[in-house]
Amino acid sequence: MTLKHWNILAACIVALVFSIFATVILQSLGPQWDWGKPWEYRQLLFKGWGQTIILSLGAMVGSLVVGLLLMLGQRSPLGSIRWTCRLFLEFVRDTPLLVQLLVGYFVIFAPLLSLSIGNLGWDDKLIIGVILLSLFEGAYLGEIFRGGIESIPRTQWESARAVGFNRRQIYRYVIFPQALRRVLPAVAGQFVSLIKDSSLLSVIGVQEFAYQARAYTSLTYGGLEAYVPLALGYLILTAPIAFMAHQIERRYRDEA
Amino acid sequence: MKLEIQSLTKLYKGHAALDHLSLASEVKVLALIGPSGSGKSTLLRILGGLESADAGTVTINAEALPVSASALLAYRRQNGFLFQAFNLFPHLTALQNLQLPLEKVHGFSAQDAKATAEKALARFGLLSHAHKTPAQLSGGQQQRVGIARAVAIKPRILFLDEPTSALDPEMTAEVLELVHELANEGQQIVLSTHEMGFAKAVADNIAFLANGRIEECSHPKDFFTAPQSGIAQRFLSKVMKY
Repeated sequence: MTLKHWNILAACIVALVFSIFATVILQSLGPQWDWGKPWEYRQLLFKGWGQTIILSLGAMVGSLVVGLLLMLGQRSPLGSIRWTCRLFLEFVRDTPLLVQLLVGYFVIFAPLLSLSIGNLGWDDKLIIGVILLSLFEGAYLGEIFRGGIESIPRTQWESARAVGFNRRQIYRYVIFPQALRRVLPAVAGQFVSLIKDSSLLSVIGVQEFAYQARAYTSLTYGGLEAYVPLALGYLILTAPIAFMAHQIERRYRDEA
Repeated sequence: MKLEIQSLTKLYKGHAALDHLSLASEVKVLALIGPSGSGKSTLLRILGGLESADAGTVTINAEALPVSASALLAYRRQNGFLFQAFNLFPHLTALQNLQLPLEKVHGFSAQDAKATAEKALARFGLLSHAHKTPAQLSGGQQQRVGIARAVAIKPRILFLDEPTSALDPEMTAEVLELVHELANEGQQIVLSTHEMGFAKAVADNIAFLANGRIEECSHPKDFFTAPQSGIAQRFLSKVMKY
Protein backbone atom coordinates (compact mmCIF):
# COMPACT_ATOMS: atom_id res chain seq x y z
CA MET A 1 0.00 0.00 0.00
CA THR A 2 1.26 3.46 -0.83
CA LEU A 3 1.17 6.51 1.35
CA LYS A 4 -1.82 7.76 -0.61
CA HIS A 5 -3.83 4.66 0.19
CA TRP A 6 -2.94 4.88 3.86
CA ASN A 7 -4.09 8.47 3.82
CA ILE A 8 -7.49 7.55 2.37
CA LEU A 9 -7.87 4.81 4.96
CA ALA A 10 -6.96 7.22 7.78
CA ALA A 11 -9.45 9.77 6.46
CA CYS A 12 -12.21 7.14 6.42
CA ILE A 13 -11.47 6.10 10.00
CA VAL A 14 -11.46 9.70 11.20
CA ALA A 15 -14.77 10.40 9.43
CA LEU A 16 -16.31 7.29 10.95
CA VAL A 17 -15.19 8.10 14.50
CA PHE A 18 -16.34 11.67 14.13
CA SER A 19 -19.80 10.71 12.89
CA ILE A 20 -20.30 8.21 15.70
CA PHE A 21 -19.21 10.84 18.19
CA ALA A 22 -21.53 13.49 16.71
CA THR A 23 -24.48 11.11 16.55
CA VAL A 24 -24.09 10.12 20.20
CA ILE A 25 -23.85 13.73 21.36
CA LEU A 26 -26.75 15.01 19.29
CA GLN A 27 -28.92 12.10 20.33
CA SER A 28 -28.33 12.69 24.01
CA LEU A 29 -28.89 16.43 23.69
CA GLY A 30 -31.69 16.23 21.15
CA PRO A 31 -34.68 16.59 23.46
CA GLN A 32 -33.07 19.15 25.81
CA TRP A 33 -31.83 21.67 23.32
CA ASP A 34 -34.31 24.12 22.02
CA TRP A 35 -32.91 26.12 19.15
CA GLY A 36 -35.98 28.32 18.99
CA LYS A 37 -35.01 30.07 22.19
CA PRO A 38 -31.61 31.43 21.18
CA TRP A 39 -33.24 32.65 17.98
CA GLU A 40 -35.81 34.56 20.04
CA TYR A 41 -33.03 36.21 21.99
CA ARG A 42 -30.83 36.75 18.95
CA GLN A 43 -30.75 40.50 19.46
CA LEU A 44 -29.27 40.11 22.89
CA LEU A 45 -26.55 37.86 21.51
CA PHE A 46 -25.93 40.16 18.55
CA LYS A 47 -25.54 43.13 20.85
CA GLY A 48 -22.96 41.19 22.82
CA TRP A 49 -21.16 40.23 19.65
CA GLY A 50 -21.07 43.89 18.61
CA GLN A 51 -19.58 44.84 21.97
CA THR A 52 -16.94 42.14 21.58
CA ILE A 53 -15.99 43.55 18.19
CA ILE A 54 -15.69 47.09 19.55
CA LEU A 55 -13.77 45.84 22.57
CA SER A 56 -11.40 43.78 20.44
CA LEU A 57 -10.72 46.52 17.90
CA GLY A 58 -10.06 49.04 20.68
CA ALA A 59 -7.76 46.66 22.50
CA MET A 60 -5.90 45.79 19.29
CA VAL A 61 -5.02 49.42 18.72
CA GLY A 62 -4.29 49.92 22.43
CA SER A 63 -2.12 46.83 22.70
CA LEU A 64 -0.09 47.87 19.66
CA VAL A 65 0.66 51.19 21.33
CA VAL A 66 1.50 49.53 24.66
CA GLY A 67 3.63 46.90 22.93
CA LEU A 68 5.54 49.49 20.95
CA LEU A 69 6.22 51.56 24.05
CA LEU A 70 7.35 48.51 26.01
CA MET A 71 9.66 47.46 23.17
CA LEU A 72 11.21 50.93 22.92
CA GLY A 73 11.42 51.13 26.72
CA GLN A 74 13.35 47.89 26.83
CA ARG A 75 15.83 49.27 24.31
CA SER A 76 16.25 52.55 26.16
CA PRO A 77 19.79 53.63 27.03
CA LEU A 78 18.50 54.43 30.55
CA GLY A 79 18.69 51.42 32.83
CA SER A 80 15.84 52.56 35.06
CA ILE A 81 13.43 52.72 32.11
CA ARG A 82 14.62 49.35 30.85
CA TRP A 83 14.05 47.71 34.21
CA THR A 84 10.67 49.30 34.82
CA CYS A 85 9.43 48.04 31.46
CA ARG A 86 10.92 44.62 32.06
CA LEU A 87 9.30 44.30 35.48
CA PHE A 88 5.91 45.48 34.26
CA LEU A 89 6.09 43.08 31.36
CA GLU A 90 7.04 40.10 33.50
CA PHE A 91 4.38 40.91 36.07
CA VAL A 92 1.64 41.13 33.47
CA ARG A 93 2.76 38.01 31.64
CA ASP A 94 3.21 35.90 34.76
CA THR A 95 -0.06 36.63 36.61
CA PRO A 96 -3.58 35.51 35.59
CA LEU A 97 -5.59 37.87 33.42
CA LEU A 98 -8.62 37.26 35.63
CA VAL A 99 -6.82 38.67 38.67
CA GLN A 100 -5.54 41.64 36.69
CA LEU A 101 -9.04 42.42 35.46
CA LEU A 102 -10.66 42.23 38.89
CA VAL A 103 -7.93 44.15 40.72
CA GLY A 104 -7.36 46.49 37.80
CA TYR A 105 -11.01 47.39 37.56
CA PHE A 106 -12.28 47.41 41.14
CA VAL A 107 -9.11 48.62 42.88
CA ILE A 108 -7.31 50.79 40.36
CA PHE A 109 -9.27 52.13 37.41
CA ALA A 110 -12.89 52.24 38.55
CA PRO A 111 -12.22 54.54 41.54
CA LEU A 112 -10.00 56.71 39.36
CA LEU A 113 -11.86 56.93 36.09
CA SER A 114 -15.43 55.66 36.31
CA LEU A 115 -16.99 58.92 37.34
CA SER A 116 -15.31 61.08 34.72
CA ILE A 117 -15.91 58.58 31.94
CA GLY A 118 -19.54 58.30 33.05
CA ASN A 119 -19.89 62.07 33.01
CA LEU A 120 -18.80 62.06 29.38
CA GLY A 121 -21.66 59.74 28.68
CA TRP A 122 -19.48 56.76 27.80
CA ASP A 123 -19.61 53.22 29.09
CA ASP A 124 -16.90 53.22 31.75
CA LYS A 125 -16.71 49.43 31.91
CA LEU A 126 -16.08 49.14 28.21
CA ILE A 127 -13.36 51.83 28.23
CA ILE A 128 -11.60 50.44 31.28
CA GLY A 129 -11.99 46.98 29.80
CA VAL A 130 -10.20 48.13 26.66
CA ILE A 131 -7.42 49.68 28.77
CA LEU A 132 -6.91 46.55 30.87
CA LEU A 133 -6.96 44.24 27.88
CA SER A 134 -4.55 46.55 26.02
CA LEU A 135 -2.09 46.41 28.90
CA PHE A 136 -2.28 42.63 29.09
CA GLU A 137 -1.98 41.90 25.38
CA GLY A 138 0.48 44.78 24.95
CA ALA A 139 2.90 43.05 27.30
CA TYR A 140 2.92 40.04 25.00
CA LEU A 141 3.24 42.21 21.91
CA GLY A 142 6.15 44.03 23.57
CA GLU A 143 8.03 40.74 23.76
CA ILE A 144 7.09 39.83 20.20
CA PHE A 145 8.30 43.21 18.94
CA ARG A 146 11.52 43.00 20.91
CA GLY A 147 12.22 39.58 19.45
CA GLY A 148 11.49 40.92 15.98
CA ILE A 149 13.84 43.85 16.33
CA GLU A 150 16.58 41.72 17.82
CA SER A 151 16.28 39.21 15.00
CA ILE A 152 17.49 41.83 12.52
CA PRO A 153 21.22 41.19 12.12
CA ARG A 154 23.74 43.72 13.39
CA THR A 155 25.03 44.17 9.85
CA GLN A 156 21.81 45.96 8.96
CA TRP A 157 22.39 48.56 11.67
CA GLU A 158 25.97 48.94 10.49
CA SER A 159 25.03 49.37 6.85
CA ALA A 160 22.32 51.83 7.76
CA ARG A 161 24.79 53.88 9.79
CA ALA A 162 27.31 53.68 6.98
CA VAL A 163 24.93 55.24 4.46
CA GLY A 164 24.34 58.07 6.90
CA PHE A 165 20.95 57.37 8.45
CA ASN A 166 20.42 58.77 11.93
CA ARG A 167 18.93 56.65 14.71
CA ARG A 168 15.33 57.49 13.94
CA GLN A 169 15.81 56.87 10.24
CA ILE A 170 17.51 53.54 10.90
CA TYR A 171 14.45 52.36 12.81
CA ARG A 172 12.00 53.79 10.33
CA TYR A 173 13.52 52.81 7.00
CA VAL A 174 15.64 49.77 7.77
CA ILE A 175 14.73 47.97 10.99
CA PHE A 176 10.96 48.36 11.32
CA PRO A 177 10.05 47.31 7.77
CA GLN A 178 12.11 44.15 8.10
CA ALA A 179 11.03 43.37 11.66
CA LEU A 180 7.37 43.92 10.77
CA ARG A 181 7.35 41.09 8.26
CA ARG A 182 8.88 38.76 10.77
CA VAL A 183 6.49 39.55 13.61
CA LEU A 184 3.23 39.77 11.65
CA PRO A 185 2.31 36.08 12.04
CA ALA A 186 2.99 36.23 15.79
CA VAL A 187 1.05 39.49 16.12
CA ALA A 188 -1.90 37.96 14.29
CA GLY A 189 -1.75 34.99 16.66
CA GLN A 190 -1.76 37.37 19.58
CA PHE A 191 -4.81 39.14 18.18
CA VAL A 192 -6.65 35.83 18.03
CA SER A 193 -5.84 35.36 21.72
CA LEU A 194 -6.96 38.91 22.40
CA ILE A 195 -10.38 38.31 20.88
CA LYS A 196 -10.86 35.17 22.93
CA ASP A 197 -9.47 36.78 26.10
CA SER A 198 -11.99 39.59 25.75
CA SER A 199 -14.63 37.09 26.91
CA LEU A 200 -13.10 37.32 30.39
CA LEU A 201 -14.15 40.95 30.63
CA SER A 202 -17.62 39.74 31.55
CA VAL A 203 -16.25 39.43 35.12
CA ILE A 204 -16.11 43.20 35.43
CA GLY A 205 -19.53 43.53 33.87
CA VAL A 206 -18.68 44.49 30.31
CA GLN A 207 -21.72 43.36 28.37
CA GLU A 208 -19.86 41.55 25.65
CA PHE A 209 -20.64 38.33 23.84
CA ALA A 210 -19.87 35.83 26.60
CA TYR A 211 -21.68 38.03 29.14
CA GLN A 212 -24.81 38.01 27.03
CA ALA A 213 -24.62 34.27 26.46
CA ARG A 214 -24.59 33.80 30.20
CA ALA A 215 -27.36 36.37 30.63
CA TYR A 216 -29.42 34.45 28.07
CA THR A 217 -28.91 31.20 29.93
CA SER A 218 -30.13 32.62 33.22
CA LEU A 219 -33.01 34.53 31.61
CA THR A 220 -34.40 31.47 29.90
CA TYR A 221 -33.37 28.83 32.44
CA GLY A 222 -32.04 27.27 29.28
CA GLY A 223 -29.35 24.76 28.63
CA LEU A 224 -26.07 25.47 26.96
CA GLU A 225 -27.55 26.33 23.54
CA ALA A 226 -26.22 29.86 23.58
CA TYR A 227 -22.65 28.64 23.77
CA VAL A 228 -22.82 27.18 20.27
CA PRO A 229 -23.55 30.56 18.61
CA LEU A 230 -20.99 31.98 21.03
CA ALA A 231 -18.28 29.69 19.70
CA LEU A 232 -19.34 30.38 16.11
CA GLY A 233 -19.37 34.12 16.72
CA TYR A 234 -15.79 34.05 17.98
CA LEU A 235 -14.77 31.76 15.15
CA ILE A 236 -16.06 34.23 12.57
CA LEU A 237 -13.77 36.87 14.09
CA THR A 238 -10.70 34.76 14.73
CA ALA A 239 -10.61 32.42 11.74
CA PRO A 240 -9.88 35.14 9.12
CA ILE A 241 -7.05 36.51 11.27
CA ALA A 242 -5.57 33.06 11.78
CA PHE A 243 -5.90 32.37 8.06
CA MET A 244 -4.21 35.66 7.22
CA ALA A 245 -1.38 34.86 9.63
CA HIS A 246 -0.73 31.58 7.80
CA GLN A 247 -0.74 33.35 4.45
CA ILE A 248 1.72 35.98 5.61
CA GLU A 249 3.93 33.36 7.16
CA ARG A 250 3.96 31.36 3.94
CA ARG A 251 4.76 34.38 1.84
CA TYR A 252 7.58 35.35 4.15
CA ARG A 253 8.99 31.83 4.01
CA ASP A 254 8.88 31.87 0.22
CA GLU A 255 10.70 35.18 0.11
CA ALA A 256 13.43 34.09 2.47
CA MET B 1 44.49 62.79 0.71
CA LYS B 2 46.92 63.52 3.44
CA LEU B 3 46.44 61.08 6.26
CA GLU B 4 48.08 61.50 9.65
CA ILE B 5 47.45 59.16 12.51
CA GLN B 6 49.08 59.48 15.86
CA SER B 7 49.16 56.95 18.65
CA LEU B 8 45.68 55.64 17.86
CA THR B 9 44.40 53.16 20.44
CA LYS B 10 41.18 51.18 20.54
CA LEU B 11 40.33 48.71 23.27
CA TYR B 12 37.77 45.93 23.13
CA LYS B 13 37.13 44.49 26.57
CA GLY B 14 40.67 45.23 27.63
CA HIS B 15 42.25 43.86 24.47
CA ALA B 16 43.98 46.48 22.32
CA ALA B 17 42.73 46.11 18.75
CA LEU B 18 44.80 49.16 17.90
CA ASP B 19 47.84 49.77 20.01
CA HIS B 20 49.35 53.26 19.64
CA LEU B 21 49.09 53.02 15.87
CA SER B 22 50.77 55.81 13.92
CA LEU B 23 50.89 56.52 10.21
CA ALA B 24 51.66 59.41 7.90
CA SER B 25 50.83 59.00 4.26
CA GLU B 26 49.84 61.09 1.29
CA VAL B 27 47.93 58.91 -1.11
CA LYS B 28 45.03 58.48 -3.47
CA VAL B 29 44.58 54.81 -2.74
CA LEU B 30 45.79 53.25 0.48
CA ALA B 31 45.65 49.50 1.01
CA LEU B 32 45.76 47.98 4.48
CA ILE B 33 47.06 44.46 4.59
CA GLY B 34 48.05 42.12 7.36
CA PRO B 35 46.98 38.96 9.14
CA SER B 36 43.46 38.52 10.48
CA GLY B 37 43.04 40.25 13.82
CA SER B 38 45.79 42.73 13.08
CA GLY B 39 43.41 45.68 13.38
CA LYS B 40 42.65 46.47 9.72
CA SER B 41 38.90 46.51 10.19
CA THR B 42 39.08 48.52 13.39
CA LEU B 43 41.29 51.12 11.75
CA LEU B 44 38.95 51.35 8.75
CA ARG B 45 35.89 51.65 10.98
CA ILE B 46 37.50 54.53 12.87
CA LEU B 47 38.61 56.23 9.66
CA GLY B 48 35.10 55.75 8.27
CA GLY B 49 33.52 57.37 11.31
CA LEU B 50 31.69 54.24 12.43
CA GLU B 51 33.59 54.02 15.66
CA SER B 52 35.57 56.30 17.95
CA ALA B 53 39.08 55.64 19.16
CA ASP B 54 39.90 55.47 22.86
CA ALA B 55 43.04 57.55 22.44
CA GLY B 56 45.12 59.19 19.74
CA THR B 57 44.35 61.52 16.86
CA VAL B 58 43.54 61.22 13.18
CA THR B 59 43.69 64.07 10.70
CA ILE B 60 42.69 63.83 7.08
CA ASN B 61 43.87 66.76 4.94
CA ALA B 62 44.73 68.60 8.16
CA GLU B 63 41.18 68.20 9.46
CA ALA B 64 40.76 66.26 12.69
CA LEU B 65 38.30 63.39 12.69
CA PRO B 66 35.18 64.54 14.56
CA VAL B 67 34.33 63.25 18.01
CA SER B 68 30.71 64.16 18.74
CA ALA B 69 27.97 61.84 17.53
CA SER B 70 26.32 64.45 15.33
CA ALA B 71 29.59 65.52 13.71
CA LEU B 72 30.46 61.88 13.08
CA LEU B 73 27.10 61.42 11.39
CA ALA B 74 27.81 64.38 9.13
CA TYR B 75 31.27 62.96 8.44
CA ARG B 76 29.84 59.53 7.51
CA ARG B 77 27.46 61.23 5.12
CA GLN B 78 30.35 62.66 3.12
CA ASN B 79 32.06 59.31 2.70
CA GLY B 80 31.22 55.85 1.48
CA PHE B 81 31.71 52.62 3.38
CA LEU B 82 31.41 49.04 2.20
CA PHE B 83 31.57 45.94 4.41
CA GLN B 84 32.49 42.38 3.50
CA ALA B 85 28.87 41.43 2.87
CA PHE B 86 25.24 42.19 3.74
CA ASN B 87 25.57 45.84 2.79
CA LEU B 88 22.20 46.03 1.07
CA PHE B 89 18.82 46.29 2.72
CA PRO B 90 17.07 43.03 1.83
CA HIS B 91 13.54 44.44 1.85
CA LEU B 92 14.36 46.94 -0.91
CA THR B 93 15.24 46.50 -4.57
CA ALA B 94 18.70 47.42 -5.82
CA LEU B 95 17.36 50.71 -7.13
CA GLN B 96 15.59 51.54 -3.87
CA ASN B 97 18.77 50.70 -1.99
CA LEU B 98 20.46 53.56 -3.83
CA GLN B 99 17.48 55.83 -3.91
CA LEU B 100 16.51 55.79 -0.23
CA PRO B 101 19.71 57.30 1.22
CA LEU B 102 19.87 59.87 -1.58
CA GLU B 103 16.38 60.98 -0.71
CA LYS B 104 16.36 60.71 3.08
CA VAL B 105 19.98 61.50 3.89
CA HIS B 106 21.09 63.79 1.09
CA GLY B 107 17.83 65.61 0.48
CA PHE B 108 17.33 64.69 -3.17
CA SER B 109 13.81 64.95 -4.53
CA ALA B 110 12.24 61.59 -5.34
CA GLN B 111 12.75 62.21 -9.04
CA ASP B 112 16.36 63.30 -8.77
CA ALA B 113 17.13 60.42 -6.44
CA LYS B 114 15.73 57.94 -8.96
CA ALA B 115 17.63 59.48 -11.84
CA THR B 116 20.89 59.60 -9.88
CA ALA B 117 20.44 56.04 -8.65
CA GLU B 118 19.73 54.77 -12.15
CA LYS B 119 22.76 56.58 -13.48
CA ALA B 120 24.97 55.02 -10.82
CA LEU B 121 23.63 51.53 -11.57
CA ALA B 122 24.00 52.05 -15.31
CA ARG B 123 27.58 53.15 -14.86
CA PHE B 124 28.49 49.73 -13.48
CA GLY B 125 26.30 47.77 -15.86
CA LEU B 126 23.76 46.96 -13.19
CA LEU B 127 20.71 48.67 -14.60
CA SER B 128 19.12 45.40 -15.69
CA HIS B 129 19.16 44.32 -12.04
CA ALA B 130 17.61 47.55 -10.75
CA HIS B 131 14.34 45.94 -9.75
CA LYS B 132 15.75 42.81 -8.17
CA THR B 133 15.99 42.38 -4.43
CA PRO B 134 19.40 41.49 -2.94
CA ALA B 135 18.31 37.86 -2.53
CA GLN B 136 17.92 37.66 -6.32
CA LEU B 137 21.45 38.94 -6.96
CA SER B 138 24.72 37.02 -6.81
CA GLY B 139 27.22 37.90 -4.11
CA GLY B 140 29.35 39.79 -6.62
CA GLN B 141 26.37 41.73 -7.93
CA GLN B 142 25.37 42.60 -4.38
CA GLN B 143 28.81 44.01 -3.66
CA ARG B 144 28.77 45.97 -6.93
CA VAL B 145 25.37 47.44 -6.08
CA GLY B 146 26.82 48.22 -2.64
CA ILE B 147 29.69 50.09 -4.28
CA ALA B 148 27.31 51.86 -6.64
CA ARG B 149 25.33 53.02 -3.60
CA ALA B 150 28.48 54.22 -1.87
CA VAL B 151 29.73 56.21 -4.87
CA ALA B 152 26.33 57.54 -5.99
CA ILE B 153 26.75 60.32 -3.44
CA LYS B 154 30.21 61.23 -4.82
CA PRO B 155 32.01 60.42 -1.57
CA ARG B 156 35.17 62.22 -0.64
CA ILE B 157 36.75 58.96 0.45
CA LEU B 158 35.53 55.43 -0.21
CA PHE B 159 36.28 52.93 2.57
CA LEU B 160 36.22 49.26 1.62
CA ASP B 161 36.57 46.65 4.35
CA GLU B 162 37.66 43.42 2.67
CA PRO B 163 35.09 43.88 -0.08
CA THR B 164 35.74 40.48 -1.67
CA SER B 165 36.42 38.23 1.32
CA ALA B 166 32.97 36.66 1.19
CA LEU B 167 33.03 36.01 -2.56
CA ASP B 168 34.19 33.18 -4.79
CA PRO B 169 37.09 33.91 -7.20
CA GLU B 170 35.01 34.78 -10.26
CA MET B 171 32.91 37.30 -8.37
CA THR B 172 36.00 38.62 -6.62
CA ALA B 173 37.37 39.57 -10.03
CA GLU B 174 34.25 41.49 -11.08
CA VAL B 175 34.27 43.49 -7.87
CA LEU B 176 38.00 44.19 -7.96
CA GLU B 177 37.76 45.35 -11.56
CA LEU B 178 35.13 47.84 -10.52
CA VAL B 179 37.25 49.15 -7.66
CA HIS B 180 40.23 49.42 -9.98
CA GLU B 181 38.13 51.43 -12.40
CA LEU B 182 37.09 53.81 -9.64
CA ALA B 183 40.69 54.24 -8.55
CA ASN B 184 41.71 55.03 -12.13
CA GLU B 185 39.02 57.69 -12.27
CA GLY B 186 40.61 59.38 -9.29
CA GLN B 187 38.36 58.20 -6.45
CA GLN B 188 40.19 58.35 -3.12
CA ILE B 189 40.04 54.94 -1.50
CA VAL B 190 41.18 53.33 1.73
CA LEU B 191 40.68 49.58 1.66
CA SER B 192 41.68 46.45 3.48
CA THR B 193 42.17 43.28 1.48
CA HIS B 194 43.66 39.82 1.38
CA GLU B 195 44.13 40.05 -2.40
CA MET B 196 47.82 40.88 -2.65
CA GLY B 197 47.91 41.14 -6.44
CA PHE B 198 45.06 43.59 -6.34
CA ALA B 199 46.62 45.68 -3.58
CA LYS B 200 49.79 45.86 -5.62
CA ALA B 201 47.93 46.94 -8.74
CA VAL B 202 45.60 49.51 -7.27
CA ALA B 203 47.29 51.14 -4.27
CA ASP B 204 49.88 53.90 -4.20
CA ASN B 205 50.75 52.91 -0.68
CA ILE B 206 50.60 49.71 1.31
CA ALA B 207 50.27 49.87 5.08
CA PHE B 208 51.12 46.58 6.73
CA LEU B 209 49.43 46.00 10.08
CA ALA B 210 50.27 43.49 12.78
CA ASN B 211 49.13 43.39 16.41
CA GLY B 212 47.34 46.71 16.22
CA ARG B 213 50.26 48.67 14.81
CA ILE B 214 51.55 49.71 11.40
CA GLU B 215 54.69 47.67 10.90
CA GLU B 216 55.60 49.43 7.69
CA CYS B 217 54.09 51.68 5.10
CA SER B 218 55.63 51.92 1.67
CA HIS B 219 55.16 51.89 -2.07
CA PRO B 220 53.69 48.59 -3.31
CA LYS B 221 56.72 47.81 -5.43
CA ASP B 222 59.07 48.21 -2.47
CA PHE B 223 56.79 46.42 -0.09
CA PHE B 224 56.18 43.36 -2.23
CA THR B 225 59.77 42.98 -3.44
CA ALA B 226 61.62 43.88 -0.28
CA PRO B 227 59.54 44.10 2.89
CA GLN B 228 61.52 45.61 5.75
CA SER B 229 60.12 44.03 8.88
CA GLY B 230 60.54 40.38 9.72
CA ILE B 231 56.85 39.94 10.40
CA ALA B 232 55.92 41.32 6.97
CA GLN B 233 58.46 39.06 5.30
CA ARG B 234 56.99 36.01 7.03
CA PHE B 235 53.44 37.10 6.20
CA LEU B 236 54.23 37.63 2.53
CA SER B 237 56.16 34.38 2.16
CA LYS B 238 53.13 32.59 3.60
CA VAL B 239 50.42 34.24 1.50
CA MET B 240 52.45 34.19 -1.71
CA LYS B 241 53.43 30.53 -1.31
CA TYR B 242 50.47 29.06 -3.20
